[in-house]
Amino acid sequence: MPLTEKIPELYLEENLALFAGLLRQEGLPVGTIEMIDALRSLQKIDFSSRKDFKVALQATLVKSRRDQTTFSRIFDHFFVPAEQHRHRADQVAEQQEAFARKLKQAALDLQFKGETLQLNLQELRQYSDLSSEQRSRLQDFVQKTEAGNKVEPHFRSILETTVKSHLRYCRSKDEQNSRGAPDTSNGNGAGSGGSKDDCLRETDIEAITAADLPAAEQLLQRLSRKLAVQILRRRRSGSHSGPLDLRRSMRDNMRFGGIIFNLKYKPKRRSKQQILLLCDVSASMKHYSTFVIHFMHGLHEVVRDLSCFSFSDNLEDLTAELKGRSDLKHLLDRVIRHSKIWGGGTNIGSALRILGENYPDRLNTKTTVIVVSDTKTVAVDSMVKELQRFKDRVRRVIWLNPLQVERWPDYRSVGLVGAVVEMWPCSTIAQLEEVLIGRL
Amino acid sequence: MIISLPELRKSFERVGYICDESTVLTVFLALELQKPLLIEGAPGVGKTEMGKVLAEILQASLIRLQCYEGLDETKALYEWNYQRQLLRIQMNRSLKETQIREEDLFSDQYLLERPLLKAIRSEDTAVLLIDEVDKCDPEFEAFLFEVLSDFQVSIPEMGTIPAKKIPVVILTSNNERELSDGLKRRCLYLYLDFPDVEKEVRIIKAKVPGIAERLAWETARVVARLRQQPDLRKKPSIAETLDWARALVSLNHSRLDGRLVADTLNLVLKTRADQQLFRQEIGVEGIERILQQSGNGGEVCKCR
Repeated sequence: MPLTEKIPELYLEENLALFAGLLRQEGLPVGTIEMIDALRSLQKIDFSSRKDFKVALQATLVKSRRDQTTFSRIFDHFFVPAEQHRHRADQVAEQQEAFARKLKQAALDLQFKGETLQLNLQELRQYSDLSSEQRSRLQDFVQKTEAGNKVEPHFRSILETTVKSHLRYCRSKDEQNSRGAPDTSNGNGAGSGGSKDDCLRETDIEAITAADLPAAEQLLQRLSRKLAVQILRRRRSGSHSGPLDLRRSMRDNMRFGGIIFNLKYKPKRRSKQQILLLCDVSASMKHYSTFVIHFMHGLHEVVRDLSCFSFSDNLEDLTAELKGRSDLKHLLDRVIRHSKIWGGGTNIGSALRILGENYPDRLNTKTTVIVVSDTKTVAVDSMVKELQRFKDRVRRVIWLNPLQVERWPDYRSVGLVGAVVEMWPCSTIAQLEEVLIGRL
Repeated sequence: MIISLPELRKSFERVGYICDESTVLTVFLALELQKPLLIEGAPGVGKTEMGKVLAEILQASLIRLQCYEGLDETKALYEWNYQRQLLRIQMNRSLKETQIREEDLFSDQYLLERPLLKAIRSEDTAVLLIDEVDKCDPEFEAFLFEVLSDFQVSIPEMGTIPAKKIPVVILTSNNERELSDGLKRRCLYLYLDFPDVEKEVRIIKAKVPGIAERLAWETARVVARLRQQPDLRKKPSIAETLDWARALVSLNHSRLDGRLVADTLNLVLKTRADQQLFRQEIGVEGIERILQQSGNGGEVCKCR
């Protein structure tokens, strides 16, 4: 919540509306019905008790266990004693003043011929967030350019572009470092305040550290078992689940003189779901592929009718490996060390064509194909045509994209693939679970 | 039935359902707001039991709808007694009575009530337990919306039937699949977790009469340790803890030891893989260590 300098006097309803807004920002589906329920529930309890107040709001506004963690974190920050609220407002005011001073200084530092360079607020902020060493290096560069020989007025735009590029470079480097470093922040980001498993589920797979790997593997094992339960769950169909069987009904009712007394129904057709996993193991997917192979292994232990392939510019069948060896270490060894395609370039279209030509028996109308790939490939257009043909041969194609959703618009191939088959983000284990359990 | 929060708290204790304050408050709110209560949690934490206990507390009849894949309205809501209707037509023809009207054939006497309709038409307050709702198809889940939000059902031949008395509705889910937002929106939400050691001891003492204090504590501590084991395929539920405790009492044991745990393990761990894991990761020695800690007056043990 943006804290204002003066604490506004708000009614409970307004406070609740603000609180609900925050919950919505964090992805909780809080609608009008929930709000009405929350207000009604508050009328039924003694809400001078903070604990009861929290339970009442939680019971009415939160609809899943995962959301309870987020709710709890926001509640503890939002509903604080007035004293603490005032203290926070003072702190924010101080921070805002300090920020304004920093921006002013940045504008003074980056001047060319007495005028500040045309940088937007975000760029000025990035500059002020740089280390003093990085800032002085950039200032030096600007000053040297200004003091050089034959300085033309159009140098300004060149200088601006160079400074902007440098700031962009610094930002991407920082992002890379923060992805590599273990998250030690407290109470910041999704899943904080929850159990270790919850945090891990929400962590970008790329950022999972070696120390967290065993816990992540266990999560994947659990997910495989959960998925297996769903695939193999025994159907207990109703007594007349299929359409009416006229022929059998007539024959059965001959004894009643042709009056259709007992209706007979055709049995419901049950098709056994076949799963084919296609995992991209090219260079850009290396980190994710290891996780997918863990997942493949776990799933194969519980689902028999499973075909697994890895691909980059070619295709390798891992089904026999999975059937032959139950040891994950051997499988990883086979896939990573002895593979000819691990970490190679990507040609998805070619891999799909090879799959269709060499393994026609694995592709039929009962097959659900799960592709795990970031869609980065050569020959994008021919890949899309191949994918269209491939899609027509199978029951369903689900594309799991480990790229973060914000980055999807940066790649043309993502949009093209997404237009042909259903695509879901799977940069975290939680997202993978959501797709496999909820959509399969 | 109107029940106050302290009365509800006492009633839970009276019927031996041990739960924390937030659970009591959530149930109270569901009763007060006349909203369905969706309870999620691992198998065996007392979700279904909640429905049964509420029926007992409210002195209401329990109407249970067990969900499964393929469940449809003919099993959940109503079905026409087709054979009886045919017989009526035949009888009418042979007796050469006056022509029967369509309304006569689609009347109450030819209606086979299923749980949902039974709950809606109940003269007294009923507790409708919709168990394992995550196992039914999404289409059936959508079908439940009318009952859950308006407490009414529609039968094409009879029209809309509103509830005579709004039933207390409890839905349970093992979280096998994500339920739709529409269903969640119509319910209050409660997540039941495994109890901590102290609470489990209270449950054991309430449900297993005659158990020695020490045995209750040791059983709860061992079960809590087993639940912490990360690779376990199926964590022991409260029901399994109680079965184990009852078995130990019937075998005249008043305390646990590593050997005894290993011998009676199949009462708590129900798969071969889990039993093997226990032997590899915890073993008799591990159990002895846990018991020693509780014997030394560990963190929470209050046994004498």
